[in-house]
Order: sequence, then structure tokens, then C-alpha cells
Amino acid sequence: MPAVPSRRRVPSYGFLSAIKGNLEALTVGLKYFLNPNRSTLHYPREYIKLRPGYRGYIVLNKAKCIMCESCARICPAAAMKMVRFQAPDPKRPGKMKLYKYPVINYQRCIFCGLCVDVCPTEALRHVPAHDVVYMNLAEMELGLEAFQQEPRSPAEEEGGIPVRYIFDPEKGLVKVRVSEGGGEQ
Amino acid sequence: MSGVITWLGEWFFWPPFFQLVIAPGLVAALVIVIFILWFERKAAARVQMRVGPYNVSPRLGGALQLIADLVRYSFQEFIVPFTVDRAAFITAPLLLLLASMLPMAVIPVSPVLPYSYTWPNIMKYNLLLALALTTLSPIFTVAAGWASNNKFSLIGAARESFMVTAYELIFVLALLSTAAPVHSYDFVKIVEAQSTWKLMALLNPPAFLAAFIATLLSTSGFPFEIPESEHEVVAGPFTEYSGLVYGVEMGAAYIKRYAMSVLMALAFFSGWKPLDPQPGAGVWSGYVAPLVVVLIKATIIMAVISFLRAVYGRYRLDQALHLAWKILLPLALLGYAIGLVYGYLGVL
Repeated sequence: MPAVPSRRRVPSYGFLSAIKGNLEALTVGLKYFLNPNRSTLHYPREYIKLRPGYRGYIVLNKAKCIMCESCARICPAAAMKMVRFQAPDPKRPGKMKLYKYPVINYQRCIFCGLCVDVCPTEALRHVPAHDVVYMNLAEMELGLEAFQQEPRSPAEEEGGIPVRYIFDPEKGLVKVRVSEGGGEQ
Repeated sequence: MSGVITWLGEWFFWPPFFQLVIAPGLVAALVIVIFILWFERKAAARVQMRVGPYNVSPRLGGALQLIADLVRYSFQEFIVPFTVDRAAFITAPLLLLLASMLPMAVIPVSPVLPYSYTWPNIMKYNLLLALALTTLSPIFTVAAGWASNNKFSLIGAARESFMVTAYELIFVLALLSTAAPVHSYDFVKIVEAQSTWKLMALLNPPAFLAAFIATLLSTSGFPFEIPESEHEVVAGPFTEYSGLVYGVEMGAAYIKRYAMSVLMALAFFSGWKPLDPQPGAGVWSGYVAPLVVVLIKATIIMAVISFLRAVYGRYRLDQALHLAWKILLPLALLGYAIGLVYGYLGVL
């Protein structure tokens, strides 16, 4: 059945209701002018304190890794690769062993967290940080050493104020300051 | 020595120079317009949950951002395209600025002039002169749009010429309705007839509302920013302009708004009225202090106009013309009738 075209009526207002609407709009504007609810994040001076479960940057705990390659296999963006190298085997003196550990390329990573979920020994974990600065693209391909270091948010290191956005039933989205313990003020 | 100071003072406060160049003319207009631009951006930001200009000078709330913008405009190249009408393209913005400023030359900002200067006899009709001079500037906006030879500019110029038909009559009628009760076209008489709280705006609200909305219409203030509406016609008549001349054109609309605000402050808000300078008062108490009071009142009116940017959207051209001809013109006529009744009964 073809769609039936319908004529939309342009809403028309009477004189008094137009005046009422104008006054209401001015009242709302004046209310926000006198009592503003600004939600801008002054980024270097403030930063969003992320919650512990946040899917941020990924860190490898090399001691826990069993070299199963599950993370590299499941990675949908092919950001995670295994590096292979020969090194002396501690169990068999004088023999060499093939080691393989995951490394990550943050040019490709989509922060889906599948590698962390699939890791059988919890060798991979998320860090609640997402604003790390790289000077060039080559730096974003982390080696084995860099992958084990926990990235730090530059705003946090420079002493920015931790804030968080919460929903207030009356004012809407409100920016609040987070205290040291993680509570909201 | 004192003779030299007096000579310099007489030269400095010579009204044709002082009123047009220093205050309420060019210098005061630039300072107030820069403040108002900053206030407009900050007010819109407060209402819209933003911060507005901040990082240029955090302690001043970003007030120096406008100075930075001015410097940037000054050092930009002024490009004159090949296809424009060169003479009109270059002169129109400057004449627009000058024509927007001209009403400042004829309005009295105090009943007494300094150093025993006297106005010429024609200045008894200064309300009519100021109104006539406010109607000069739109032709240069249209000329700038026409000379640009660009379709956006042409559309913007056509819109501006439509808007002229909408607001001019209303503004003139609304201000004339303040002349009727005092039987004079002299701003001095109009202001002297009011007192600090017996304002013409309260005695004759239809005329004041009509004048206020006509000011919005004429200076493309929201909700009537129709000639240079950015979403539809880039920058309207000013599309082809760049650099300092673009800044001049954008500033000219604000300076016209400032001039009309000064007229409204005098006609509807009792001008210099908390002060009452007597003949024979000195330069500072008799001339400069009333001038400052007038400028403060005009700045408050401009701030209210700027606040509307945060609240309103934009009307279409036909909606604005409908409002002007079917609602505001009867309102202005009603205000004029009220003024005539006041004049007949001798209320003021």
C-alpha cells in the first residue's frame, strides 16, 4: 500500500498565547542566566575521575602470562600481536626456549576489552585512564616493556582536579568534585 | 599655565568634536561595544551551560578575548575580489560606520553645554534630527551587498531592504510619541519632563515596546538576525569582506544598536535624571557626569538586547514582516495616541 501523503498543519498561535510563550522563554533564560549549570570540563585543570571498571588502557602482567595467544586471536582489530624470542629455559639449563608475549598497537585498538575478558589467568587488565598523549604514531605501537607499565593520565599527574558527572533529578547533568577516597562531593 | 589647560579643555569639549569622537561617539561606543560583545557571549554561554571566552584572561573572565579578536582582524588581509564594484565595496562599510555614529553628534547629553557653548537654533529639533540620521545607515548595508556581486550578498541586501520597510516607521512613530506630551522635539524638554521613576517607558509602554523591538529589527539582533543569518546566507551583505573591514561592518550594527539605545535611554528612561545639572555648573558635574549616567542606561538597554540572543531562535523574513506590520505598527500607533492624549491633558 503506498504511503498516503498528509498535509502537516503549521501550528498557529493566538496573540495572548504568543505573549505567554515569549514570557516563558524569557523566564527560563533568566533562570539559567542567574543560576547557571555549566557542564564544561576545563580539561587540563580538571579531569574526569574514571570508575574502576572503565575500559581504558590495557596493561600486561608478564609473570601471569601463560603464552596461550587467546588475546591475539580474539582481538577484532588485530591490534594485539604476539612477539616471539628465544631465551634460556630456566627449567632446563643450557637449553633455549621459545617465548611469546602479547604486545599492543594503540593505533588499531578499539578498547573493546575482549582480550581482558578472554585471558584465562588475568594477566591483562584495564587501567582507568584514557587520555595518554603520544608524540608520534610510532610511539603508539607498544613493545613488551612499555606494555607492562601502567599509563598515567597527564592531567592527573599535573595536579588537575578530579571531577565526575552525575545525574541530578532537578538540575540534570551536574559536575561534582571527587574527593581522595573516590566519593562525590 | 591654567590658560593653556582652559584652552585645551575648550578645544577638547567643543561639542561637535567631543560628542562625535569621544563620548557618546566613537571612543565610548567602541569601549561599550567591546564590553557588550563580551557580555553577549558570556550571557549566551551561561544560559546554554557553557563557559564562553575564558582562556585568554581567566581572571577577567575572558574579557581580553575581544581585544585579541580585534588584533586578529586588524592583521588579516583585506581581500578585494576581482568581480566587485571596487569603489562601493571599499567605501560602503566605512560610510556605514560613520552613518551609524552620526546621531551621536546631535543628541544632547546634558541640559548645559560646557564653556558657555550653545547649540545652534536648529538643535531645538534634535529628536527629529537624530531620528533622521538613524535612517541613513541601511542604504550602505544594501550598497555593500550589491557591490559584492555575490548571490549571498544580494539575498542579504534584499532582506535588509525588506527589513528597512518594517522597522523605520515603527521606530520613528514610537520616539515621536514621547515628543507629543511635552509639546517639543527637544530631548532636553523630554528628559526634564520625566523624573527618576516617572519614566516614559512606564507611562507609555506600547511605544517603548515598539521602539525596543524596532531596535532589534534594525540592528539584526535576535530573534531578527535575518539579513546576515549565518545558516542561510553565510554572512549576508558582508560575505565577501575580510580583515579589519569585516570587523568594521560587524561593529557598525552594534554601534547602531548603541546609538538607538542612547536615544531610548533619553526618550524613555529619563536620560541623566538622577542628576539635575543647573546652568552654570562646571564641566565635570554639569556635562560629563550626566553623560556617564546616559551611557550607563544605554549600556543596560544594550545588555538586555544582547541577552535575548541566548533565548530566541530566528524568525523567518515573512514572520518578522508580519510581526512588524500587523502587530508592532498598531502598537506604535497606540503609543502615539497615548502620547497625544497625555499632551492634550497636559499630564507631564
